[in-house]
Amino acid sequence: MQRSKKLFAMLGASAALALALFSTSRAQAPQPIEDELVLITPVAKTLTDPALADFAKYAKERWNVTVKTSALAAGTPVAYGQIVEWKGRPNADIFWGGESALFDKLAEQGLLAKLDLPKAVADSIPDSIGKPKPIALKDPKGYWIGTVLEPYGIVYHPRLYQRLGLPPPKDRDDLLNPKLKGNVAQCAPTRSSSSHATYEVVLQRDGDDKGWEFLRHLGGNTGMFTARSRDVPSVVAKGEFAAGFAVPSYMAFEDRLAGFDLMFVAPKTAWITPEPMAILAGAGHPKAARAFVEYLLSERGQKVAMERGVFPITPKYKVQGAPGSTAEKAVEFTGGIRSYFDADVNNIYDDDVAQKRYEAVNEKYRKEIESVAEELKKKY
Amino acid sequence: MKMPRLTLATAGFALIWAFLILFVFYPLTRIFYDAFTNEAGAFTAANFAGFFTATDYLRSLWKSLALGLAAVATTSVVGIAVAFLLLRYDFPWRNTFSYLTMLPMILPPLVGVLGFVFILGRAGTVNVILQDWFGMGKPINFMYGVHGVLLVETVHLFPMMTLSILDALSRVDPRLEEAAEGMGATGWQRFKDITMPLTTPGYISGALLVFIWTFADFVTPLVLGVQDLLAPQAYLNIVQFVDRRIFRMGIVISALLVLLAIVFVLAARQYVAIKDYSSLSYSKVERKQLSPAKRWLAVAFLSLLLLVSFIPQVGVLLAAVGRGWSLTPVPVEYTMEFFRQVSIETPKFIVNSFLYCGIAVAMCLAIGVPMAWIMGRTKAPGRGAMDALTTLMLAIPGTAVGIAFVRAFNFPLPFLDMTLTSTWLILPLVLAVRRLPYTVRGSYSSLILVHKSMEEAAENVGATKLRTFRDITVPLVWKGIFVGALFSFITSIQEASSTIFLTTGGHEMIPFGIFTFYIAGSQSQAAALGVILIALCAASLFIVNRIAGTRVGGLFG
Repeated sequence: MQRSKKLFAMLGASAALALALFSTSRAQAPQPIEDELVLITPVAKTLTDPALADFAKYAKERWNVTVKTSALAAGTPVAYGQIVEWKGRPNADIFWGGESALFDKLAEQGLLAKLDLPKAVADSIPDSIGKPKPIALKDPKGYWIGTVLEPYGIVYHPRLYQRLGLPPPKDRDDLLNPKLKGNVAQCAPTRSSSSHATYEVVLQRDGDDKGWEFLRHLGGNTGMFTARSRDVPSVVAKGEFAAGFAVPSYMAFEDRLAGFDLMFVAPKTAWITPEPMAILAGAGHPKAARAFVEYLLSERGQKVAMERGVFPITPKYKVQGAPGSTAEKAVEFTGGIRSYFDADVNNIYDDDVAQKRYEAVNEKYRKEIESVAEELKKKY
Repeated sequence: MKMPRLTLATAGFALIWAFLILFVFYPLTRIFYDAFTNEAGAFTAANFAGFFTATDYLRSLWKSLALGLAAVATTSVVGIAVAFLLLRYDFPWRNTFSYLTMLPMILPPLVGVLGFVFILGRAGTVNVILQDWFGMGKPINFMYGVHGVLLVETVHLFPMMTLSILDALSRVDPRLEEAAEGMGATGWQRFKDITMPLTTPGYISGALLVFIWTFADFVTPLVLGVQDLLAPQAYLNIVQFVDRRIFRMGIVISALLVLLAIVFVLAARQYVAIKDYSSLSYSKVERKQLSPAKRWLAVAFLSLLLLVSFIPQVGVLLAAVGRGWSLTPVPVEYTMEFFRQVSIETPKFIVNSFLYCGIAVAMCLAIGVPMAWIMGRTKAPGRGAMDALTTLMLAIPGTAVGIAFVRAFNFPLPFLDMTLTSTWLILPLVLAVRRLPYTVRGSYSSLILVHKSMEEAAENVGATKLRTFRDITVPLVWKGIFVGALFSFITSIQEASSTIFLTTGGHEMIPFGIFTFYIAGSQSQAAALGVILIALCAASLFIVNRIAGTRVGGLFG
């Protein structure tokens, strides 16, 4: 009996220890913002890291709080799925990036908290951009807000193009050139929501018959279907493949900054995303989260973002830097644009149409392109 | 057996079972529950029907099975040749080779494959040299396709085969072979009638491990653009959560992977179950001297093998120190910047790896050593089930385990306002579950080498059980336990497939770091972390090799 008493005492002690371990982070004096902030985001760390680092500096200056920041990197679908799986008990505070339709879906499920931004901040961002179809830049209900503008386009490797005897590509149709056979990299729309959106742009531009024919032909020219959209600029930068389909400008820009020879082309019917941001319902650090949203929309936050090859979300700012700065390199890389509010944004992408047939397009793609890729290669 | 009283021993026994049921059995049943229900939670077989009526899913099933068999074939040829050379013959630098041929086992997740691509890809060193120096027109496709996957798996997994065979082979009493020879049986006949039957169990367990590893690997095919295999399908379908039908299909494929693993283990159970070795000790083998020509042939064969085997490591190293490396044989610009970024600037990957893998190994020891003792020294009920569960853990793909853990432990814990999946504790737990078999087997195989009579002798002269354990058993078995634990550590620190679904912010380990950098497109930083991982594992493996020689094969078998 003595033994069993000891055992129970030990069990009790270890349970108490476990409780203590788990609850240390709880009891704290109230602070203007919490000392931790976690993002879940498909946005590459080349953009999230500088933004978080500068935010930590800002929080120290303004509130004298040392915020421990981190970002869970996850593709849009993964991030979305995680948040759904968390069921309102999230391990992150902020969801940043991806398609605004997914943010609407999360809000419907009660998984987002209202942003409650100061009116001046919310009003500084226009409702939408682009014609004939406007792209919404913020949620009228106030659950999400756009943070930066980011065009999707094609990338190519100039030296490899030269070797193949090809002129630089100008638009998506140039990727159907027979000389590029087996030299195009792309990510399937079933794997990447941004690829999916680009496919929709093609389908909505050309109509179903011509659009699917284009996509099948592109499938025939494809040398590799990557697992994720981020892999597309990587394999092209390395020279493994000559051209890549559906790549966000800033990811390609990072490869350029890393010393790779890589070029970006924005097609005529571009697809632009406002990289929405939202605070998760039940987030552990709601005050820090709100502070981060406000910071990123401020001039200071926007400047940090512009250095990484994305564009300001408000007409108030333009990408501008000293000659030779990364901001100026970014302007050069994306064809001289400093603000999308100065340019004509020719958008035909209709999100309602896309969301309604999301699964149908995936299914058709899987059956008619992905699973018969080998046959397509022979056909075209 | 008397009625169990509440002693420390029975409490420990109960705790072990509680651990196994809670963290092995329960999560696996959860994944089957998910596979047989729909989004509304109603039971249905429609998910499986969906799988077995889709031609492309079926094709990926066949292709995966074929690839697994092909990998068994290629690793058998290489692995058996290396095992025989190392054990039976003497040639220059034999000991060095015995260490070096274990090293390919260390292939950091993801960047290992990238290392291959950097050297053998379309723009890799070899193709660039062929095109620029020898005027070849189009690059040769070494990597993209199933053949590339087979190459990577062969190079990565042949050491497992070698170690399993070595272990089995060194338990074959050479006198049996001599006897056969004395009766007039020559080379092939002797091999067929004596050596082969005696080494079959070791071979089968090695083969099973190679097969299941290949079958369950999703990273290698994905990097090489091969998606129509079962494991990549499971991964790709699960990570896209938006389309819930595709997501469900991913769960179904994971359940299928688990199911197939169970079937394979059952089919080979007489070979892979923990063994009561018929011959208890390793035999001293007289190594044969080779003629000078043959001796150098052996060296040439092993050198060539190592040259191919170290392609990924060389590729990773070059990528880690090269800047903007594209379409040149080796990088043009060199920098240590990437190492600085992943170690000094953000040390968390390395720190977390040591911390969580250390805790995982401690858990493995706390649970695995008593388990080995129960299996080897007691007649406690349920030993068979214990062995079955641990053997199964060897076979079940990490991806499936990770997903099972996410599904199973994402509920608020009683009294605490948090879920187990939101704490870092889940990481060492899943690692411990995954690597427990190595500790159990390492401890068991050395425990069984200590004859019970030695312990009995000590007890007869008045030593208490505890004292016997301390003075007799521990000194004799610590090596086995230590090697098993170190092996658990090496494999934990490389583990990515299960932890990738469970990592939360601030608790990233090296493999997750590799994924994060890779996802961000920073292949150089990913490669730098890969080099650090390779160095850590190579050092650990060196210690294993020093202590145990090449005799760690019993861990898998």
